[in-house]
Amino acid sequence: MRFVGESVTRVEDRRILTGRGHYIDDVRLPGMLHAAFLRSPFAHARITRMDTTEARNLPGVVAVLTGADIEAVTVPIQVMPQFPDFNSPVYQAMATDRVRFVGDPVAIVVAQSRYVAEDALELINVEYDPMRPVVSFEDAQDPNCPRIFDDIEGNVLYRSNSTHGDVDAAFAAADTVIHETFRQSRQANVPMETRGAVADFDPGSGDLTYYAATQSPQGCRFQLATYLNHPIDRVRVLSGDVGGGFGLKGPVHREDISLAAASRIVGRPIKWIEDRNEHLQASGHARDEQIEVEAAVTSDGRLLGLKARLLIDQGAFPCLPYAAVLFPNMIRDLLPGPYRFGAMSFEGLVLATNKCWNPPYRGPWEIETWVRERLMDVIAHRLGMDPADIRRANMFDGDEEDRSITGQHLAGITSRQSLERALDLAGYSAIRAAQELARREERLLGVGFATFLEAAPGPKENRVIPEDARVRLESNGHLLVMTPQGPHGQGHETTLAQIAADAMGLPLDHVRVVHGDTRQTPMNLIGTGGSRASTWASGSVMVTTRKVREKALGVAAAMMEIDASDLDIVDGMVVPAGAPSKAMPLSAIAMTAYLAPETLPPGTDHHLEAQETFTGDGVGGSGWSGGTHLCVVEIDRETGRVEIVRYVVVEDCGQIINPAIVEGQIRGGVAQGIAGVLYEKAAYDAEGQFLAGTFMDYLLPTATEIPSIEIDHLESVPVEGLDIRGVGEGGALVAPAALTNAIEDALVPLGVTINEQYLPPSRIMELTRMVPA
Amino acid sequence: MIPAGFDYRRAATLDEALSLLADGGDEAKLIAGGHSLLPLMKLRLAAPSMLIDIGRLGDLSFVRDGGDHVVVGALTRHRDVEIDQTLRDHVPLLAHVAGQVGDPQVRHRGTIGGSIAHGDPASDLPAACLALGASFKAVGPSGERTIDASDFFLGFLETALGPDEVLTEIIVPKATGAGWSFQKFNRRAQDWAIVGVAAVRGERTGISLINMGPTPVRASATEDALAGGASAAEAAARAAEGLEPPSDLNATPEYRVHLAQVLVRRALEEASAA
Ligand SMILES: Cc1cc2nc3c(=O)[nH]c(=O)nc-3n(C[C@H](O)[C@H](O)[C@H](O)COP(=O)(O)OP(=O)(O)OC[C@H]3O[C@@H](n4cnc5c(N)ncnc54)[C@H](O)[C@@H]3O)c2cc1C
Repeated sequence: MRFVGESVTRVEDRRILTGRGHYIDDVRLPGMLHAAFLRSPFAHARITRMDTTEARNLPGVVAVLTGADIEAVTVPIQVMPQFPDFNSPVYQAMATDRVRFVGDPVAIVVAQSRYVAEDALELINVEYDPMRPVVSFEDAQDPNCPRIFDDIEGNVLYRSNSTHGDVDAAFAAADTVIHETFRQSRQANVPMETRGAVADFDPGSGDLTYYAATQSPQGCRFQLATYLNHPIDRVRVLSGDVGGGFGLKGPVHREDISLAAASRIVGRPIKWIEDRNEHLQASGHARDEQIEVEAAVTSDGRLLGLKARLLIDQGAFPCLPYAAVLFPNMIRDLLPGPYRFGAMSFEGLVLATNKCWNPPYRGPWEIETWVRERLMDVIAHRLGMDPADIRRANMFDGDEEDRSITGQHLAGITSRQSLERALDLAGYSAIRAAQELARREERLLGVGFATFLEAAPGPKENRVIPEDARVRLESNGHLLVMTPQGPHGQGHETTLAQIAADAMGLPLDHVRVVHGDTRQTPMNLIGTGGSRASTWASGSVMVTTRKVREKALGVAAAMMEIDASDLDIVDGMVVPAGAPSKAMPLSAIAMTAYLAPETLPPGTDHHLEAQETFTGDGVGGSGWSGGTHLCVVEIDRETGRVEIVRYVVVEDCGQIINPAIVEGQIRGGVAQGIAGVLYEKAAYDAEGQFLAGTFMDYLLPTATEIPSIEIDHLESVPVEGLDIRGVGEGGALVAPAALTNAIEDALVPLGVTINEQYLPPSRIMELTRMVPA
Repeated sequence: MIPAGFDYRRAATLDEALSLLADGGDEAKLIAGGHSLLPLMKLRLAAPSMLIDIGRLGDLSFVRDGGDHVVVGALTRHRDVEIDQTLRDHVPLLAHVAGQVGDPQVRHRGTIGGSIAHGDPASDLPAACLALGASFKAVGPSGERTIDASDFFLGFLETALGPDEVLTEIIVPKATGAGWSFQKFNRRAQDWAIVGVAAVRGERTGISLINMGPTPVRASATEDALAGGASAAEAAARAAEGLEPPSDLNATPEYRVHLAQVLVRRALEEASAA
């Protein structure tokens, strides 16, 4: 391998950094109209009357469509009705008789320009009859609160219960039981490019072309075909550069279905570009979850058992197709992390509320890491132990037989190595000494660390959902690699090219990665998500490229009259073993295969194209990405400001395809994790009014707020087979834990326990009781 | 996030701006840097029927040494205030504060006059002007008048400027060699202050507060305490006396009161150390 392992410059960078990317708003079609959505100002209300006459009469308005108009031409949405125990409500693409969150779309205006469309929004008359909003977990579980869907009792969409090991025995044997409820708050994905699309229904051909900013072009195509009841062969999704998603653009949104339906109704292309207000209010908020946990521990710091109760706020609608019901069992399975203990009971509830829906967000199961690693520190502080020692006392070594209480096979994990390495690198004992000194000066210095495991791709027995790639050697000897992935910033055009170039024996610029056209790429509903690209997409590109290489060598063997097993491809040349002077350019082979296949011996396979499935076979190693993050903070005791003094990452993602990209992924994830603690909160008031509709209220960190991040990679131990693992989510999974642990550690002298994740300066001052709550 | 429709006129001279204002009536609005007005218009919280652009009135962009005071033209951009040598020498607080507004883009577009005329209690420059004892010159159909900063800010986004007047000059007494401090507490570098303090201690003492009420305000109790010989800590403890600070996602009123006390103490310590 020559390119894998190198920080080659991203193929995408020149285009994107010089403003020559093609984002959704760059799509301009002849005759294109513009759409804007009217959205509910109420969290929960009946629509008693709607009058669109005035809006329809505004010059420049082409159509004003209500929820009922869209309902008439679409299929009601019901997400994963087959998922066990999921009370999946049936809902519409736009509100018809009832609105269920502030931002719920009630009408769509189609006009000559977005300007006119927005003017028309003000002319639509809607009368609402407000209902009591269901805003909090307490509301959702209150029998006096109304049901958000008439047929969903108690607003409970899903409940999962399980017991692992002998929980009673574990608690009976405990010296201490520690009981805490850990609460996170709403954080939004907030990609740089908001949602948006151009729907182009061609009444002539009956083709629906949907230009999407999506993480999954094929998934988008499949859902549009389903909910528009449009033949899937006549639905084509195209996507160009996508300006971020972090999970948000994996789902298909209700606006997508409404927009496509509107285009089919008016018979013209329509563009919708969401503005930042709409985006913050109505695109999605994740992380609205809590876990109440009881831990049975011995006085020497051994964890014996856990009882955990998880609540997830789904918001008003299950996200299509990634309803939050997908996550309780993942959270349950991962909650024990790298720690050995003998018993656990788990209950997980997904509740509906009158808030925006909850889409996947970078590491959607993150709460397992946060709560577990927070809990380890709380136990340490209660027992007067060092947080490092409590981890050492309970951590698996990664031996062959290591299995967590929820059955996760942990052979080969490197949690312990990452912990020790992080402590070493940071100079842990020196930090503790500095802390001593600081405390004598009444300064609040704290250090925290946390360890995570990411099942990317996970141990062999858990691997599911294979992925295909299609690869074609073109007549000039260059390789086209077609992937169902929907890259949105990760650099697939670079990393997949590195894989293919090495597998084929080509220079990097002879490989072109193609994505985002469902007529060319293989089927796969997931696209980019779940840290699948580096594992599943890479694997599929590797096996498929190998197949094409085999075919190319077959043609070369015939042309050169040398046995294929004596041929190699190096830098785009087919080279016979021991006779480099007889080398032939791959382009000559390909040209013959395309233009003169009749000159080849009968039976030669001259189709230099393949589509292969990667099933995970041939992947070695533990399958677990993971690592430890360590963070040092100093808190201003007078203002509550938290300053991150140091941030150290030690990670293990196996064999690294491109170190620069891996480190970029880590930094981005850490930034989002830090933001969830110090900056970002999609706040609602008690009436379900949304309060964070602009970037003055929803604070995204900028380069000034994020500290420099020191990254160390654990040496990957060579294994049999491929050892490429995912790295997209780890940073976001573990940063909140490392940071909140550091904050609690700093506040130890003040006797503060941190059991909430969002800690702006005002909240720190309340927790330290310097300012009344 | 698209403003409602409006007419647009660009004024070539101050007189033209005044007559356009007079013709435009209640619904006409001046636009300078647009960095306060346009965000309101995009959210449709403001919907003027006509914008009169004074952004190119170059005559009103200057800093002039007036002997015992410095005159700053209303259309001087924050960046030009920040780097002006006369101000750095004689009113360093004002230059420094201008450099703390928003981010570089904002500082290259926004004008000092726009900031003062907008009268946002969360803005930095109005509070600095209060602490410095500045006054503002306004020109209207019936001529010009000068308004003391302490009489200028009347209510939330409400000032003593008439709808037909243009703010033309900010007149700032020199505070050469005086101690000063600017404390801006925010969560991100580019944000407005959650609470801020501008302080001058020299021949004249002025302490003012950002975001502690509906208008930029003087911390009068603190100023009185200092005049009576109180220590910095004693005077700072009275920083929020009589004030009703707002509540928002960043802070409760209680937290703001606490911050005001802490920041005023820090400001007084820094100003007297100078
Ligand atoms: C992202 C961002 C961050 C910001 N951060 C800060 C910050 O940290 N601190 C801070 O203090 N400010 C901040 N601001 C506001 C900024 O300082 C504005 O530029 C300033 O408040 C207004 O000046 P302007 O020239 O842009 O005024 P405009 O927006 O053009 O006008 C504002 C108002 O004043 C009126 N007006 C303007 N000029 C005159 C005049 N000469 N006579 C009479 N009326 C006039 C207008 O009619 C309008 O009502 C920020 C703005 C943005 C967009």
